[in-house]
Amino acid sequence: MKKYFMAAAICCLITLSACGESGKTAVEPDGKLDPCTLRFSWWGGDDRHEATLKAIELWNKKNPKIEIIPEYGGWDGWTEKVSAQISGGTEPDIMQINYDWLISFSPDGSGFYDLGKLDKQIDLTNFDEGVLSFGKSDGVLNAMTVSVSGRGLFYNSETYKRLGADYPKTWSDLIALGEKFSSEDIYPMDLDIQSGGTAWYLAVVYVQQQTGRSFISMDGELGFTEDDIRNALDFYKLLEENHVIRTVDVRTDEDGSASLYQSAEFIDGRVAGVLEWGSSVGKYEMALPDGVLEAGPLLSDDNGNCSGWMIKPSVMYALSNNTQYPDEAAAFMDFMLNDEECAEILGTTRGIPSSRKAEKHLEEKGLLKGLAQENDKLLENLDTVTISPYMELSQMKNIYNTIIEQVSYGKLDTQEAAHEMYISITEYLEKIRK
Amino acid sequence: MKKRIYHNPVGVGKYTGLMLIIPFILGFLLFTLYPFISSFILGMTDYDSIREPVFSGLDNYASMLKSREFRNAAWVTIKYTVILVPLKLTVSLAAALLLNMKLKFMGVYRTIFYIPSILGSNLAIVIMWQFLFTSDGLVNQLFGLAGVEPIGWYGNSNGAMAIIILLRLWEFGSAMIIFLNALRDIPREYYEAANVDGCGKIRSFFVITVPLLKNVIFLNLILQLISAMQEFNAPYMITGGGPMKSTYTVGMLIYDEMFRYHNAGYANAVSWTLFMLITAAVILLFALTGRHKEERV
Repeated sequence: MKKYFMAAAICCLITLSACGESGKTAVEPDGKLDPCTLRFSWWGGDDRHEATLKAIELWNKKNPKIEIIPEYGGWDGWTEKVSAQISGGTEPDIMQINYDWLISFSPDGSGFYDLGKLDKQIDLTNFDEGVLSFGKSDGVLNAMTVSVSGRGLFYNSETYKRLGADYPKTWSDLIALGEKFSSEDIYPMDLDIQSGGTAWYLAVVYVQQQTGRSFISMDGELGFTEDDIRNALDFYKLLEENHVIRTVDVRTDEDGSASLYQSAEFIDGRVAGVLEWGSSVGKYEMALPDGVLEAGPLLSDDNGNCSGWMIKPSVMYALSNNTQYPDEAAAFMDFMLNDEECAEILGTTRGIPSSRKAEKHLEEKGLLKGLAQENDKLLENLDTVTISPYMELSQMKNIYNTIIEQVSYGKLDTQEAAHEMYISITEYLEKIRK
Repeated sequence: MKKRIYHNPVGVGKYTGLMLIIPFILGFLLFTLYPFISSFILGMTDYDSIREPVFSGLDNYASMLKSREFRNAAWVTIKYTVILVPLKLTVSLAAALLLNMKLKFMGVYRTIFYIPSILGSNLAIVIMWQFLFTSDGLVNQLFGLAGVEPIGWYGNSNGAMAIIILLRLWEFGSAMIIFLNALRDIPREYYEAANVDGCGKIRSFFVITVPLLKNVIFLNLILQLISAMQEFNAPYMITGGGPMKSTYTVGMLIYDEMFRYHNAGYANAVSWTLFMLITAAVILLFALTGRHKEERV
């Protein structure tokens, strides 16, 4: 019996290893659109979900032979979900991807489908060369940039009005606001150490503006010195000490692990400001009554220097290497990027479209409005920094968040924390660049 | 009474038994043995779950020993297990004793006590739990009514650990059912005889119930220990491992390394280490309770 068992086990293992997908090549495009069913996945808030589902409905009506099945959810846990799908080769045909996924999943350009082969289906002429280059990995066009957006400041106008406070224009204004808000034990702003990691991002803007140095270069070199990091952490601590933001302790007690836009503190206006990408601010806007959330000025130093604010390709579309229908998937991607009717439905739920055709159409229809557009306008005239995809890697966010938490709880002073952060980031970047 | 005759639809041949267990064997090979062995092999590779794995020997294990994050996660897991398991055994045994009494509507009570275990830590329960313990949640409101200062549950390490332990403690039903069945197997005559001899209820519990439940207590201990050491859901969904990684278990570390940081090789090595830790804990319990000798008698 033992022998039979061993034989069965070995046969099973051999069969399974033979099932491995090593050496599998992607299906080549044939220039035709065959009937098929495709899966499309994205993350976002309800505003994006509703608009995208309507856009898919339109596509399914226009192209009844190519059916699109939607898969969507919130950002928290989304990377892990798609990561598991990609590892198992079960990812959707068309995916909305984040900037850093190009490094995680396709460092040599072979992790996603080569969109360069699909220029018959995707009209690349609507995109600037600079915008296209964001989606290239090792020279291969892996993803299309849906929009480029920046992180901006958005405030609860009702709370500010009630307190007679103006939106801050400089860092000093922001710090001064703490006192006014502390009288009611509410806060003018929120920074978090969750998946968005806004605490560290705002501190980076502050130091980038002061020094003119980028935090991390596009090829993954740390641009900040240990002193710069300390400076950023000191700034964060200053915000906590001046009642501008909640300490991590208070924030966690009040919100648990819920995201800010789902927390009672934000919805009730007791936390009256947020740092968010223009392309994702819709979910905050929807959590408050219409028109309550407003875009505020991007902060400058006392001499009017307003550089250092960050932009990035906020969301991108990529195709799975395992798709059996690259032409059809690319056609749908083109529809999402360039189709005028679709652009009208999607509006600015993924930021201001990078596709010139879509943007022009929205402008003509008077749909280029809302917070994403206002934020875009604010950033347009500034000396912005395009952030490195390395900055967005999950492990990097873990490093920022862990250190900020220790500083907030007073477990480390900013000098020790800066040293630890500097070493951790340098080591990790070295490992990942290999 | 008419004797029932059973017909075996597959006949009784030489390999009938084997055929009947083949579905299980296949499932075991495919979904248990294969991942088990693959995981061990992958644990000795540098693998990002995208590109081909590269053999790296014991490097992952070496870096694990050096990693502060792993040491912290192991410590949190052990602490959590050591606090939760005895508490859960005590509570479930106490509940089983109560539900073993002869009272009206006992079936209803038993069902009610078992409900939390059926609900498990699904999303609705987790959300409810989150709101119960936020700074102005129901628990703190009740404390307020009783004149107790509100507690910052999520913000401090002990509070966060307590929330998770309370959730798991609340789900004592499955351990309770095992105890209850064993209690019902103890003949009432023992208690009656003890009573006649002047033995009180508490003494009966220690001299009759506990010795007769010895094996069941041990079984529950092992089952609870194994599930506590693999804890993932509750801290992942309720505290996110915080604050300051004070509820960050080895299960969460494996998940993060595997799916968030793309260190599949390392994640598999940690999985195997967890497996070895659990095995060591079980062996230790067998040794401490002298069970390995008992079996030979």
